Amino acid sequence: MSPSRVVAAVSLAVVLAVIVAGTPAISQTPKSGGVLNAMQREDLPQGFSIHETATISSVFPAAPCFNNLVMYDPMKRVESLDTVIGELAEKWSWQDNYRNLVFFLRKGVKWHDGQPFSSKDVKYTFDMIREAKDAQGKLRLNPRKDWYANVDTIEAPDPHTVIFHLKRPQPSLLLMLASGYSPVYPAHVAAAEMRTRCVGTGPFKFKEWKRGEYVDLVKNPDYFVKGRPYLDGIRYVVIVERGTKYAALQAGRLDITFPGEGTKTIADQVKAAVPQIKIETVGQTVVDNLLVNNTKPPFNNVKARLAVSLAIDRRAYVKAVHQGGAAVGASMQPKPYGVWGLMEKDLNALPGYGKAADDKAKARKLFAEAGYGPQNPLKIEMATRNIPIYVDFASFVINELKQVGVEATLKQVDTAQWHPLATRKEYQLGANLTGIGADDPDANFYENFACGSPRNYTGYCDEQVMKMIDQQSQEIDAKKRQQMVWDIQKKLEEDGARPSMSWRLDYVMQWPYVRNYVPHNNIYNYGRMQEVWLDK
Amino acid sequence: MARQVTAQPGGGRRPVLAPSPGTAEHATRTYILHRLGIAVLTLLGMSIVIFVLLRFAPGNIVDILFSTGGYVSESDKAAIMKELGIDRPIWVQYVDWLREIVTGDLGKSYRYDLPAWQVIKPLIPVTVELAVLSTLIAIALGVPTGVISAIKQDSMLDYVLRVISLAGLSMPSFWLGMVIILGLVAWVGWIPPVTLVLASEDFKIHAVQFLLPAFAVGYRSSALIMRITRSAMLEVLREDYVRTAWAKGQTGRVVIWRHALKNAILPVVTVIGIEFAFLIGGLVVTETVFNLPGVARFLVQAIIWRDYPIVQNLVMFTAIVVILSNLLVDMMYGWLDPRVKYAD
Repeated sequence: MSPSRVVAAVSLAVVLAVIVAGTPAISQTPKSGGVLNAMQREDLPQGFSIHETATISSVFPAAPCFNNLVMYDPMKRVESLDTVIGELAEKWSWQDNYRNLVFFLRKGVKWHDGQPFSSKDVKYTFDMIREAKDAQGKLRLNPRKDWYANVDTIEAPDPHTVIFHLKRPQPSLLLMLASGYSPVYPAHVAAAEMRTRCVGTGPFKFKEWKRGEYVDLVKNPDYFVKGRPYLDGIRYVVIVERGTKYAALQAGRLDITFPGEGTKTIADQVKAAVPQIKIETVGQTVVDNLLVNNTKPPFNNVKARLAVSLAIDRRAYVKAVHQGGAAVGASMQPKPYGVWGLMEKDLNALPGYGKAADDKAKARKLFAEAGYGPQNPLKIEMATRNIPIYVDFASFVINELKQVGVEATLKQVDTAQWHPLATRKEYQLGANLTGIGADDPDANFYENFACGSPRNYTGYCDEQVMKMIDQQSQEIDAKKRQQMVWDIQKKLEEDGARPSMSWRLDYVMQWPYVRNYVPHNNIYNYGRMQEVWLDK
Repeated sequence: MARQVTAQPGGGRRPVLAPSPGTAEHATRTYILHRLGIAVLTLLGMSIVIFVLLRFAPGNIVDILFSTGGYVSESDKAAIMKELGIDRPIWVQYVDWLREIVTGDLGKSYRYDLPAWQVIKPLIPVTVELAVLSTLIAIALGVPTGVISAIKQDSMLDYVLRVISLAGLSMPSFWLGMVIILGLVAWVGWIPPVTLVLASEDFKIHAVQFLLPAFAVGYRSSALIMRITRSAMLEVLREDYVRTAWAKGQTGRVVIWRHALKNAILPVVTVIGIEFAFLIGGLVVTETVFNLPGVARFLVQAIIWRDYPIVQNLVMFTAIVVILSNLLVDMMYGWLDPRVKYAD
């Protein structure tokens, strides 16, 4: 064999090995039985009431209890329109030029209490979330009302058909409906009851919630997918102490880690101690972002905002604060973890993403133009939550600002005060983490950048950007939409609207005997556990 | 002749050394009633302090709830505050709470939407068991080593024991707990179960689950007990009656344990009482490290969540334990030293 052929053969073998290694383990015949012991970082904040929460601490243990109309394929890591599959909806159809979304529901599906599932439940759920005038239920907290702002009415013409009538075309609606934040609730059970137990149609039923200790779910024998789930049950063990939870994983008391908890440093330590533990790196769809109060001086001046953004070296931030365990990106999760992120060359041309020394020089110049300099240094207060990951972030920013002559002091606030302070815009600069339920521009832009949104903490409001957001939202052509989304991201960065620092990566750890547990690039969307089995 | 007993934790009237008149039983009863009366007043004062301090903490449960939702809606916030009754004047809420306590109803957990008692009840046995075990280990380690150290004063053994006790005082129990956990996982690849195993389910596992944290906590306490025992013993061993006992030819065991230790034990008992009372509320980190669902760990979470009914009732429970353990220690003085009588 000639040397070139040897090289070609070896290359082919390497490529094949990489493909095989990167493909989820589905080659073996699944076995039924066993209980999966999953890590749970804290007790469930809102019980199983997914619609009343915006934290993974509730979504992860509650997800196996419910079903969505559609979901992201549990076996595929990257989430996009192409990976959306039916769940309670057998199929769906866009009609009237993407103004009506029609779902054809599965027949014979039952709630865990034996009641039949029908289109009424779907209408009840989504009317309740969008706070329709004739809604039959009410949520105590409703963090995702804005997701459904474009839904005009929901119609249930027969027990197995639901039609979402939209005010304008919105292809993204399907992606938001596929999120872990979009389960269907039973119309015959009060939504408030989900805070203490769950009644769903999902693969697992509620068994016990021992407050502060664990949640037990058991297999739903009447599940509508025959042969699923494989597991007999799942126990979510609440462990707050970081050292204890990873000791429990290493000792085999836990089988999998909690989404979003695995840092690079911990993963390296665990791998060194127990080499057989499987570690996968995925995106979290959680972004470290700088809240720059657009409504008050000095940051109502775009020059000052831009100068702040320029002053911060994102790559140094990833190295110093995340030890490399994060990806630099603008306001959408960067590739390969997300599908909407800017291309590398476009990103590098944005303020704060180029050469650090050049950007800092530009920052000093902009501050000078805004009237600040060595004789008149800008003095500001940087607010953040009194939690280490937030404080690390804020401390880094303060140090970066110091290098361009800004004197920033750190103000740590209690969790109870943080969101009131951010919502009322009683801060100048803030270090914040934002999780986005679906890697989709509508889910992100309307929530965090739209004028008047309750989670638009910076108060950024630009008419042109709002038009751009609306336009991309109704664009049906995927390529055109991608370009629009890139343009919006550039504009947001150039306006210093809410500078992104980095997108967190998750180092998901699991024992090799856990099969079909495929972490996604979004921590909220892979908790169903329907396909998971134990190879013991 | 009556001599005031020193180094005792109880408040109010104190046991005194007095001749034994015929009214001893009556005096003891009166003393206990008096102490219980003072305890009620103390608890009332405590309830005000707890109640007010909690309200001084920034934010409330509704802020935390919205925090998990990532937004704030002032109208929804007002509605939830009304639903939970925390929009009422503080004094109205306080009177309501007192009324609930008197009627045996501890209110409802804001966070879990369940009766507070239902949430608190399973936590108490865990903490009490851990505190009792820790105290027993502390006594078992501390008293004999203190005695030996005193008897062998300034010997190599004394130095070794003093170093061990100093190490115990220097090492925080949670740190020792974490070292135990990490050591076990590193060396034997095993740690105790991370969810509570009841003794009725598997006694051996249950025992291991509690003995490890109890050792971590008990070791620190034992160091303190050892040092107190040693110094008290050194004092007593120089007393005339001990010298007399030796001179009369009594065996070492009798002299040490019956004559010396019995007279040196009062300050040791006081320290044990204080340590036990401290453990009921002070096991936060140990319970967290060993993931035991006890009072202290839960209390911290309840404070973070501003779950007032849970916090108030757990702190009151801790206060009651402290008061009762102090009373018990005072009563033990009389049992350990017959010369102690309770003056009315």
